[in-house]
Amino acid sequence: MTESKFIVALAGNANVGKSVIFNHLTGLHQHIGNWPGKTVEKAEGTLHFRGHTIDIIDLPGIYSLSTFSIEELISREYIAVQTPDLVINVVDASVLERNLFFTLQLMELETPMVVALNQVDMAKKKGIKVDYKKLEKTLGVPVIPTVATRGTGVYELLQKSVETIEKGGKKPHRMKYGEEIEKRIESLSEIVKEIRYPYPARWTAIKLLEKDEQVEREIRKISPKILPAAGKSAKEIENIHGHSCSTVITSERYEIAGCIARKVQHIAPPTRPPMRERLHALTTHKILGYPIMAIALLSIFISIFTFGDYTSGLLSDLLYGLEPIFENIFGPGIVGKLIWGGVIEGIIAGVTIALPYIIPFYLILYLLEDSGYLSRIAFLLDNVMHKIGLHGKAFIPVMLSLGCNVPGCLGCRIMETERERLLTAFVVTLVPCAATTVIVLGLVGTFVSVQWALALYIIDLLIIFFLGRLAFKALPGEPTALIMEMSDYRVPHLETVLKQTWFRLMEFIKMAFPLIIVGSLLIKLAEVMELLNPIAGVLSPMTVTWLGLPAITGIALIFGVLRKELTLIMLATLLGTADFAQVPSFGPVQMIVFTLVTMLYIPCVATIAALVREFGWKKALFITVFEIVFAILVGGIAFRLLILAQ
Amino acid sequence: MELRLTDLRDGESGVVTSIKIGHRVHGEHRRAGRRWGFRHRLEDMGLTPGTRVTVVKSAPFRGPLEVYVRGSRLAIGKRMAERIFVEVKR
Repeated sequence: MTESKFIVALAGNANVGKSVIFNHLTGLHQHIGNWPGKTVEKAEGTLHFRGHTIDIIDLPGIYSLSTFSIEELISREYIAVQTPDLVINVVDASVLERNLFFTLQLMELETPMVVALNQVDMAKKKGIKVDYKKLEKTLGVPVIPTVATRGTGVYELLQKSVETIEKGGKKPHRMKYGEEIEKRIESLSEIVKEIRYPYPARWTAIKLLEKDEQVEREIRKISPKILPAAGKSAKEIENIHGHSCSTVITSERYEIAGCIARKVQHIAPPTRPPMRERLHALTTHKILGYPIMAIALLSIFISIFTFGDYTSGLLSDLLYGLEPIFENIFGPGIVGKLIWGGVIEGIIAGVTIALPYIIPFYLILYLLEDSGYLSRIAFLLDNVMHKIGLHGKAFIPVMLSLGCNVPGCLGCRIMETERERLLTAFVVTLVPCAATTVIVLGLVGTFVSVQWALALYIIDLLIIFFLGRLAFKALPGEPTALIMEMSDYRVPHLETVLKQTWFRLMEFIKMAFPLIIVGSLLIKLAEVMELLNPIAGVLSPMTVTWLGLPAITGIALIFGVLRKELTLIMLATLLGTADFAQVPSFGPVQMIVFTLVTMLYIPCVATIAALVREFGWKKALFITVFEIVFAILVGGIAFRLLILAQ
Repeated sequence: MELRLTDLRDGESGVVTSIKIGHRVHGEHRRAGRRWGFRHRLEDMGLTPGTRVTVVKSAPFRGPLEVYVRGSRLAIGKRMAERIFVEVKR
C-alpha cells in the first residue's frame, strides 16, 4: 500500500466526548492554536495508521450549522471549502434526538461521514439502548458504538474511517423534507447547480430558503438573480405553514431527527433517579445551590493560590539561589548584568509567576468544564454577571483574576462568542490580582489606613462595573443571552484533561516567554545605559504635573510592567527606604494616587502575552493602551479631588 | 391557554406555539433579538413550534430557566424565555 495522507475532521455537539476521542486518536502529536484571525481554538493532530498519515482536526462543539456563531461558520466553511476526506460525527447516544439534528445538517454538506455513537454506557445507565445497525441503515452512514473514556470502539472507528476513505467515500443518504419543501429545494438547486459555489447545490438551496445571511451575501455576488426566486419559494412555504421558512425547515429537521431517534432507540426508564440527577438537582437548587457553589469556588481559589504561592516561592528561592554562581562566572560587568537581569530574571519571572498558577488553573478549568459543573455555575450566576453585560460563565475567569490575570485571560475561552470573550478579557485585566493586592495593602493599607485600602478596592470594583457596561454598549455585536445545554454530570476523563492542560501550557510558554524576556531585557538595558533618569524626566509632565507624584515613580511604574509588585520594590530602592512614611514628597495623597494608577495602568507583561495569545496583537495592544490612558486620567482626577478634600 | 414560558409553574409543561422576537415585552421599548437571530438559535436548540417543553425550575433573582426539551436539559436566560409562548392545559 502506498503512503497517503488523509484529512479527517471531528464534528459534534459540545460535551459529547469529542475531545476525548481526539486525544485517543492523536496521542501526543497535537498542535493547539487559533483559527486564523479568530479567538476560536483549533486543535490539530496527526496519527499513522496502516501506512497512512492522517491529519485530524477537532472542530468546535456546535449544535447547528447556521451563521449565528463563529464556531458554526468556521465548521461549515472548513468542511465545504477545505473538503476533508472524512467527517467523524461524534454523537451522544443518551441525547440522540438533539445530536441527530446536527448529524442531518452534516449529511447535507455531502462529505463522506462516519458516526461515532459515543457514551453508549451512559445511555445504558439512563435506560436508553440504541440499535446502531438500524441507525446505520437509516442514515446510510457507518455507525460505530464507542465509549471514548475507556477507549472502547476507538480502534474500530479508525478502521472504519480509513476503510470508508479507501472505498472512495460514499456520500451519506439524502434526507427528505416534506413534499412542498422538497419540490422547491429541487427546483432551486437546479438553478444553483449552474453557478460555481463551493457548497453543494442542495445545501445552498436549503440555506437560501432559510434566508442564511452569509449564503445570500455570497450568492448575490455571483448570481443575484437567484435570490428573488429563492425568496418567492420561501414565501410560498411560509404561506402554507404560517411560520417563517427557516422555522419550518428547522422543525422538519427536528421531526426527522426525532423520528429516527424513536425508531432506533429503546427506552426503559430507570426505576429511581440516578446519582447524577440528584447531584444536578442539588447543585442547581434555588437555595442550597449557592452555598455549595461558594464552597466549591472558594476551595478552588484557595487551592490554586496556595499551591501557586508556595511553588512560586520555592521556584523563586531556587532560581535566585543561582545568582551568586552566575556572578562568579560572568563577573559584575555589563554583559553579566544584562544576561542575568534581562534574560534570566525574565525567565524567572515567567517561571515563578505564570507556571505555578497556570498549571493548576488549566487542570481545574478542564475538570470543571468536562464534569459539567461549569454550566451549573453559569446557570446560578447568570443574573449577577448580566449586570456587567456578561453571562454566568464569565464568573470563573473574573474570580481567577483576583489571583492572577493570566489564567483569567486564558479562561475567557469558555465564553461562547468572540464578543463575550473579548468583553470578559477586558474586565479581567482590570481585576486586582494578588500582586496588586500586595501593593494596596503594603502601601496604602500600611501607611495610610486600612479603610483607604478597602476604599480603593471598592473604587476599582465600581470602575470595573462602569467600564464593563460601557464596553458592553460600545462593542458591536450580539447582546448576551444564555442558551446553554446542561448536559449530564460525568466523571472527567483524566488523561484528556492532563493532555489538554499540557498542550495549552506549551502553547502559552511559546507565546509568553519571548515577550517576557524581551520586555525585561529592554528595561534592564535602559537601566544599564543609565537611561532611567532621563526617562523619568520625560515622563515627569505626566507623573509630576498631572498626577502630583515624585518624578522617580515613573521608573517604578515602568518596572511594574514586568510584574506589578516590582513597583513597590523599586519604589523602596529609589526612595532609599522602605519606610515610606519618612518621605515628605510621598504623602498619603501620593500613595493613594500611585496605588490607584498601579491597579489600573497596564496589564503586566505576562498578561499582555496571554491577551496576545488569545486575541492577537491588535486587540491586546488596544486594551493595553486604553488602560494606560484611562489609569492616568483617573489618577489625575483622584489627585485633584484628594487635594480639594484635604 | 397561551402563556409565556416564564409564567409556567415549576414542573409544568406546554407546547411551543411561537417565539415572539422583535415584539415588545413588558413595555420594554426595545425591539431586541431579531437582528441576532435569537429565534433561530432557540429553534436550533429544539424549541420549534409544536415541541413539548417542561419547565424544571428557574434560578432565583430572575435568573435563567431550566427546561427539559427533546430529551435534554437547557438553561435559557429569562429575557429570552419571556419571548417563548406555549399552549398549556390548566
